[in-house]
Amino acid sequence: MSENHVLIEVLGLKKYFYRQRLFSADKEPIRAVDGISFSIRKGETLGLVGESGCGKTTAGKAILRLIEPTSGRILFRGRNILDLSREELRQLRPHMQFIFQDPYESLNPRMRVGEIVGEGLGVHHLAKGAEQAERVSEVLRKVGLHPGDAGRYPHEFSGGQRQRIGIARAISLHPELIIADEPVSALDVSIQAQILNLLMDLRDQLGLTYLFISHDLRIVKHISDRIGVMYLGKMVEMAKGEDLFRKPLHPYTQMLLQAIPKLGPAQKAHPPSAKEEVHFFEPKQGCLFLPRCPHSKERCHAEEPLFQNEGGDHWVACHFVF
Amino acid sequence: MSQLRPHSQKTPLLEIRSLTTQFLTEDGVVRAVEDVSFEIFQGEILSLVGESGCGKSVTGLSLLRLIPIPPGQIVRGEILLEGRDLLRLTEKEMERVRGNEISMIFQEPMTSLNPVFTIGSQIMETLQLHQHLDKKEARRKAIEMLHRVRIPSPENRIDSYPHQLSGGMRQRAMIAMALSCQPKLLIADEPTTALDVTIQAQVLRLLKEIQQEMGMAVLLITHDLGVVSEIADRVAVMYAGRIVETGPLEALFGNMRHPYTRGLLESIPQLEEKKERLNAIPGHVPNPLALPSGCKFHPRCYLAIEECSQEEPPLFQVNGNHFSRCIRWRECC
Repeated sequence: MSENHVLIEVLGLKKYFYRQRLFSADKEPIRAVDGISFSIRKGETLGLVGESGCGKTTAGKAILRLIEPTSGRILFRGRNILDLSREELRQLRPHMQFIFQDPYESLNPRMRVGEIVGEGLGVHHLAKGAEQAERVSEVLRKVGLHPGDAGRYPHEFSGGQRQRIGIARAISLHPELIIADEPVSALDVSIQAQILNLLMDLRDQLGLTYLFISHDLRIVKHISDRIGVMYLGKMVEMAKGEDLFRKPLHPYTQMLLQAIPKLGPAQKAHPPSAKEEVHFFEPKQGCLFLPRCPHSKERCHAEEPLFQNEGGDHWVACHFVF
Repeated sequence: MSQLRPHSQKTPLLEIRSLTTQFLTEDGVVRAVEDVSFEIFQGEILSLVGESGCGKSVTGLSLLRLIPIPPGQIVRGEILLEGRDLLRLTEKEMERVRGNEISMIFQEPMTSLNPVFTIGSQIMETLQLHQHLDKKEARRKAIEMLHRVRIPSPENRIDSYPHQLSGGMRQRAMIAMALSCQPKLLIADEPTTALDVTIQAQVLRLLKEIQQEMGMAVLLITHDLGVVSEIADRVAVMYAGRIVETGPLEALFGNMRHPYTRGLLESIPQLEEKKERLNAIPGHVPNPLALPSGCKFHPRCYLAIEECSQEEPPLFQVNGNHFSRCIRWRECC
């Protein structure tokens, strides 16, 4: 676990959105991502979970500068991505790719599959003409499609096959890091399993590093080595997958895990009533989870808990570790 | 839960016999639901589960005769609500069944609630229309319903507009509206799919509690086996427009007898054990315009033999009310 194996390190990443009105702008921003830090080692898969609106997608996009972060540092192989010029960033792009959730909206319907998958090779002057076609065939084969599919259009494919096209596009440039944002959420369960298997096979074959973003805890547990849990823009807990599931420390993580429907008719333990979600109500101070927390105490109102290592690389932001 | 059975002693609340619904498309006839039969008893939750395009939602809509005609068409079958065939009712009579005797909730509460009216006025409209209550009575009843679905301070919430409520609250309001006339059967089509997992757990528990309080029957349509195992009593698994396996929840999860049911379950990552690969079902759902011959699942099935492609299997009785549409059901699983 030496430092030099860290592929990407995110430090204090923030993305604030200010709503623009006609004559004014909000003074109080929406803190979509509010100072998260983590690192991913080469070959590792970090899962990022949380419910809608927790900032996990914004975080993923901000890391690749698909949206400009408000502040923070993102060290990719030791260089801060946020300091790079447009041209330098462009040169770095082949190393970091993104897989989108919706296989219907993320593929240009007017381009053939071969053009979609080969576009990056052309843009980055990596392959042209016959060589490009050869590379495209190879990548299509890798993701379980037929090389002949290169001449077809996205609408001719099912959802699962389209996601394979999206994956082919992402791996065509031999990236080191792939950020996958809910890559199987739009798919039926039998197809989800196929795509998860594919992502894991590619990881082994190509030595990929994943940031895997999902709301589905079962899927995140299956594919990830470590898991980070986000709540209202902050990281509230991070640990090895087995540790997080065996011994969740943050009350929010505990609530999430209890809410996963059990498969099979076994005992239905009904957890204590969780409180209904809250709108973008932000306590001015104290713990953000306070309005929903079943264990809150006085200290939680006054002071925001720090994200601390509780030992064994298990990080949590809670005053009272349960 | 299961004390209500054995079935033979009771007449079902709703009995579907050989329901077949088709759609005429430019490319040909799509048989979305083919020869589907099942029954629902009072006080039970039957779950219709399957992947997209399997015909589960069309089945639900067919029960209320909400299929757009054309292009849709219920070609065959009977839908017997306490012995009365809904397919033989006039449109006027059917209107009295909808909302009053059978009501329905949908996946996305924001698209089913009217954004320009308060939730109170929408619940009151149902009550005034179906139960002929006056305005004051209807308002009192609407508050009572909101209270029943555990919406805090219902006297105030009744004047809220849908956009002022969170997703979970909106789905609760939808449930309040659907149940305001105390229907005998509630059809819930993916009621928690749009909700976050913690909210989903709350809404499911609410549904189960209310169902038990009111002794109502629920047809729960979902793609999520987790949701099924949380609240269903019985399950029917659909594939390519057909029911391929049906039985009590315990049997389906503990002693499944159809390779598709097994495939669905094994596609879901287990929390307990870490497996390197999932046992994914190969291939994909067939094109409804070009269904395979024989058993519709055979091209994807690990148990398939030549016979499977020749003749469509009937439902075999495994035991009691557990049936499987697989000729090799004894060897499966």
